[in-house]
Amino acid sequence: MQKQITEANLRLLIDSLLLKGQRVVGPRQSGTMVLYEPLASASDLVTDELPRRSIKEAFFPVCEDLLEYRKEGQQIELKDIDPARFPETVLFGVRPCDAAAVPVLDAVFSWDYKDQFFLARRAKTTIIGLACTTADDACFCTAVGLSPNDPKGSDLLLTPLVGGGFLVESQSEKGLSFLEAWKDRFSEPDDTKPLPLAQPAATPFDLKKIKAWLDDHFEDPAWDSIATRCVGCGACAFVCPACHCFDIVDEGSEKAGKRRKFWDACGFSKFTNHASGHNPRDLQPKRYRNRIMHKFKYYDDKFGQTLCTGCGRCIRVCPVGIDIAGVLEEIEKK
Amino acid sequence: MCDSNKNIYLPYLATVEEVIDETPDVRTLRLVFQDEQVRESFNFRAGQFAEYSAFGAGESTFCIASSPTRKGYIECCFRAVGRVTESLRRLEVGDTMGVRGPYGNSFPIEQFYGKNLLFVTGGIALPPLRTLIWNCLDLRDKFGDITIVYGARTEADLVYKRELKEWEERSDVKLVKTVDPGGNGPEWDGKVGFVPTVLDELAPAADNCIALVCGPPIMIKFTLPVLEKLGFGDEAIYTTLENRMKCGLGKCGRCNVGNVYVCKDGPVFTAKQVKAMPLEY
Repeated sequence: MQKQITEANLRLLIDSLLLKGQRVVGPRQSGTMVLYEPLASASDLVTDELPRRSIKEAFFPVCEDLLEYRKEGQQIELKDIDPARFPETVLFGVRPCDAAAVPVLDAVFSWDYKDQFFLARRAKTTIIGLACTTADDACFCTAVGLSPNDPKGSDLLLTPLVGGGFLVESQSEKGLSFLEAWKDRFSEPDDTKPLPLAQPAATPFDLKKIKAWLDDHFEDPAWDSIATRCVGCGACAFVCPACHCFDIVDEGSEKAGKRRKFWDACGFSKFTNHASGHNPRDLQPKRYRNRIMHKFKYYDDKFGQTLCTGCGRCIRVCPVGIDIAGVLEEIEKK
Repeated sequence: MCDSNKNIYLPYLATVEEVIDETPDVRTLRLVFQDEQVRESFNFRAGQFAEYSAFGAGESTFCIASSPTRKGYIECCFRAVGRVTESLRRLEVGDTMGVRGPYGNSFPIEQFYGKNLLFVTGGIALPPLRTLIWNCLDLRDKFGDITIVYGARTEADLVYKRELKEWEERSDVKLVKTVDPGGNGPEWDGKVGFVPTVLDELAPAADNCIALVCGPPIMIKFTLPVLEKLGFGDEAIYTTLENRMKCGLGKCGRCNVGNVYVCKDGPVFTAKQVKAMPLEY
């Protein structure tokens, strides 16, 4: 279903949701950064800047409690986390490269064992995407098969119109019911043209060709030249919408505390360190190789999807200038 | 297992029923689940692993070292080398700890029926095979000859010493124990030499035999060629890999060897499968 909404009505809609007590998350200024965080009013919404971190934290927070424990004598009392604690949430202004990563993450958190922490939040969240009309040098969604107005992962997709306002397209049942519930704020689409979409400079990669090279080049001198300079800071994984490695850590004393899940990164030197001291990925190029392999081979082998949406964040934050799009280009030429 | 409303990270609570010091820094804990229903419903197969927690320190991954044929308890065996294992070692009889599992695949024991079994293992790598050894001994008439080659750096580093004695005394098991050169005391009545060398000398027949190998990477590296020389095929050799893990559930992303997740696709693999993997274990 297609509708239209004015800029003013969109802001009114957000404020109405907030007035109803609905949790609304969107890009907003948070300290020195723009992040996806709960909005206090529609005026908080920032629509002209890609948030520093991705939307994954709406479903998979930087850290979260898994359980609480308390010791009484020799007994331990465990307190489970009630999934009801995860509130119904509407995400506004989610960039297509971020929204597209959510179904990618569904695969790992729902195959076999179900991670209710991710899935309960997922079920209670409506994603309202926002098509991009500008791109920077790091954007490369078009190179990995997506586009600045890709509907993947969005329940509703907003496309900015010439002269203001947005075209609204429903992409799921959730999106349809949202349009239905708030129909007074939307109007029928008229002839207003959408603003020209962003045009990332990157040309499409042949992902099959890249994967074919990865399939039989686990050992290759290229890994050294690509990643010897990687300092293992893990920033690329932390800003990535699709990276999902985590650690499980107890916080507290023997008497009482919490078990928590934290983001982790395959770039960290201790990530795969054995208790014996043996480390299968003992050098940084091996760790960076895993990053590329996981994104463009292993995840594809397992789930038939690429673990990268071309958001370009890892390129923007890398302190030593490793450019994943450049790496893929290099591999593609081999 | 796939109940979507369940917290998959929530462990069962278990009471430490018995503490056994295997070596100065290797300890066995015998655990009994506190919940009666869990005690009855907890089923596992030899080769599977679990996440054991000392609350306040975190979780560690070990195989379940006891046999599935021994009901009412499980055992784990570990060397105290880090924060969690040091905390697990501080637990006393009657204390409570956490157990998540069982996870991973297992030895296809039914496929071993009617065959001779050769166990080859070293040091702290006996526990992952000990579950299977007892499993087979408890179903003794289903198997042919059972041979165990077990080595450690020194006599003191041999784990399950009381059970080694029991296996030595049984007429239906052949135990060949060895220590590295220099690791033997004056009373030592076993062999002196590295496991692959001792195996080479022993030269067990490969015909109708399954080899089960678990040890430090260096032992595996030198044992596989010996087995090959003896005529063991890649699919007649099984091993169990132990990459670092956190979730055990195929999500946290660290135990992979290439595209193989040790926690889900393993930890039990044939030599054929291991050979197809990149060197990342």
